[in-house]
Amino acid sequence: MNLPNYFIADLPPEAELSPTMVTEACQALKRNREKFLAHRSTAHLVAVLVRVGSEWLEPGSPFRKLALEYGPVALGFSRETLARGLDALFREFTPANFECLLEQDLGHLGRLDTLVAAPEEQRQSRAVLARGPELLAHITAGNLPNPAIMSITLGLLARSAQFVKCATARSWLPRLFAHSIYQAEPKLGACLEVAEWRGGNTALESAMFEEADFVTATGSDETLAQLAQRLPAGKRFLGYGHKVSFGYVAAGVLSGGFARRIAALAAADVTAWNQLGCLSPHLLYVQDGGTLPPVAFAELLAEELQERELIEPRGPQPVEIAAAIASRRSIYQLRAASSDETRLWASPDSTAWTVVWEADPRFQFSCLHRFIYVKTVRNLAEALQHAELVRDKVSTVGLAAPAEDIQAHAMELARWGVARICSLGKMQCPPLSWRHDGRPALGDLLSWTDWEM
Amino acid sequence: MRLSTGGTPALAGDGLFNELALELFHLQYERNAVLRRWARAHGVGPASIRHWTQITAIPTAAFKETDMTVLPDSERSTVFLSSGTTLRNSSRHYHNADSLAVYEASLWPWFSTHLLPASAPALDLLVLTPSANEAPHSSLVHMFETIGRKHRPLRSLFAARAGQTGVWHLDLGLALRFLEESVGMGRPLLVLGTAFMFVHLVDGLAERKIQIALPDGTRVLETGGYKGRSRTLEKAELHRLISDYLGVPSSHIVCEYGMAELSSQGYDRVVGSPTRGFRFPPWARMQVVSPETGLEVEPGEPGLIRVFDLANIYSSLAVQTEDLAIRSAEGCELIGRAPETEARGCSLLAV
Repeated sequence: MNLPNYFIADLPPEAELSPTMVTEACQALKRNREKFLAHRSTAHLVAVLVRVGSEWLEPGSPFRKLALEYGPVALGFSRETLARGLDALFREFTPANFECLLEQDLGHLGRLDTLVAAPEEQRQSRAVLARGPELLAHITAGNLPNPAIMSITLGLLARSAQFVKCATARSWLPRLFAHSIYQAEPKLGACLEVAEWRGGNTALESAMFEEADFVTATGSDETLAQLAQRLPAGKRFLGYGHKVSFGYVAAGVLSGGFARRIAALAAADVTAWNQLGCLSPHLLYVQDGGTLPPVAFAELLAEELQERELIEPRGPQPVEIAAAIASRRSIYQLRAASSDETRLWASPDSTAWTVVWEADPRFQFSCLHRFIYVKTVRNLAEALQHAELVRDKVSTVGLAAPAEDIQAHAMELARWGVARICSLGKMQCPPLSWRHDGRPALGDLLSWTDWEM
Repeated sequence: MRLSTGGTPALAGDGLFNELALELFHLQYERNAVLRRWARAHGVGPASIRHWTQITAIPTAAFKETDMTVLPDSERSTVFLSSGTTLRNSSRHYHNADSLAVYEASLWPWFSTHLLPASAPALDLLVLTPSANEAPHSSLVHMFETIGRKHRPLRSLFAARAGQTGVWHLDLGLALRFLEESVGMGRPLLVLGTAFMFVHLVDGLAERKIQIALPDGTRVLETGGYKGRSRTLEKAELHRLISDYLGVPSSHIVCEYGMAELSSQGYDRVVGSPTRGFRFPPWARMQVVSPETGLEVEPGEPGLIRVFDLANIYSSLAVQTEDLAIRSAEGCELIGRAPETEARGCSLLAV
């Protein structure tokens, strides 16, 4: 693995980080931003990002090869799972999608370039410019690279210098992405820093907070609250707390030959990123009363998960995770042995996948790593009644419903407060313009100048 | 089923153990519907197996989810709860007079083998838990009471109190006085307690800037996890603090592994011996199994502890725990517990 030493994360593991190093890195980033980034056009930045994204999709790309070669050991995903996740992410890096994002969040493609007026602003004789922070610090967490890569992408569009602080042993893909930007255009790469340290290192984090004017963070609600408290006055903070997602399958789509197709889509959602993202389903609510009972759908899902395992294995996991899965399986095996209200299907001689069907419709958190609950409900209203427990935590609902009902279902979910509704099978493939947790991800980074002409 | 509780069962080889295990499994299979369904779901019945390793282990969750016992309601004179305090989310292990007698007959010889070998002097007994009156559902407290009764020390003290919510509080002043009196009389002690109570003890001593040098021959038994009841320390760190504040060398700190769902315990050393490794008594067997395959792991590999305990007469002799260990030549080394496996209403921790 021959990556040049561009970033702090490239230093050998024994290198000790000091607050001074962080401060100096931040100051260098800001100088570089002024020279190399602040005055770039959106069109230029989009072109670079599209080029980088399409390179990541190329089988011969050195960064992709490195990601797939070292990612399985570094991150615990199989090569195939990684490839599918990265493909879903970088396929979104198209000119049309970037335009859609800019139009959606900013109302005008040139908004970050100069004072411009959208038609309705013209009528009011106004012109408006959006400005990004000078130094944007990201505190990223978790196994998935998507949030960090999207943060870097949006930060570049915002013309911000960026310091990306990754969790221990989680910098590998953000680091590769930063290198790919560096290679595409070294001057843009010089406005990026990637470092890795154990969260809660207040000396390093304070040095970073002192220099940054905007901090984004992903993590538990407690972590976010603590971080927000530690920020010096006047700094902006954007926290993305943990979210949960689930699926809903209406009885109407489980007739004829469709049921297996729906089960395959559900299996795609369960296996994507090994179910570890906030957008991955913890459970599937399946409506009773159709041709195929929910328990039979659960069995189909188990078959599809086994199929998936053959082409896209989950990959080995640490013993603690395997133990958690094995212990949780045993609870449902016990129940299944004594009652016909629970059934369990599981990968043979491994913890690779598990399906638990329960008649009990109460919401249940999964232990993830491809462990999915299927629960029977009479209708969507009943599903939402049981999901009340997580109502303020729901990110995505993957929906499979007949065409004639889908609008009504989507409206019911939207009114209830779901931030994102998508087709089953697409839960881990949000579009580039996805409003993260229901908020404009790019727009939330920016400040505005209104000129009343 | 007749229970004999006289003397120490001598189970020299695997043959007798195997015979007794299969016989007990047969009885449990016949009389315990949950156990029978579990075994059948795994394709196992008394007729289909020849070796104790083939007996299906009942997960500890079964002691939470069901009444894992053949005792009818009227005979359940004692129940041990896994948290020692509350029925909610606790494993329940029911006993009657007979099975309690077996429990006591099982615990004493293996305890004394490890903590009170032949050369042991007369020891004062300090127990860092409440007494059985205050903690009637703790199998650990019952064990410590039994030890107190069998050992018959001249002086003994249970130095903790159970609060109204069942939480245990160490009476530090009382414990200190007891320790100082023993030191004054030059009498070595047997100090028994949970890891978190030892943390409270050494923290209390540190706060008062007191270091005690307990008389030579003093030995410590430390057991169990923390369950959020004190700050959590690495085992080596806890042992270092015990050595620093009580003057007991690491060689005289013995770790115990036991649980409400079992009737026998494992110990990781005979007091004073140089090496550690958990071993169960001859009437029990321990395996470390892969959570992936359920098969025993190779030495040096981690897995889940599975115990086959002939003293578990009315429940299940084979118990699958959620505790992680590394299999070693000497037995096993504990490394922790599988992350929370609450089946409902768990927090957002796994997200």
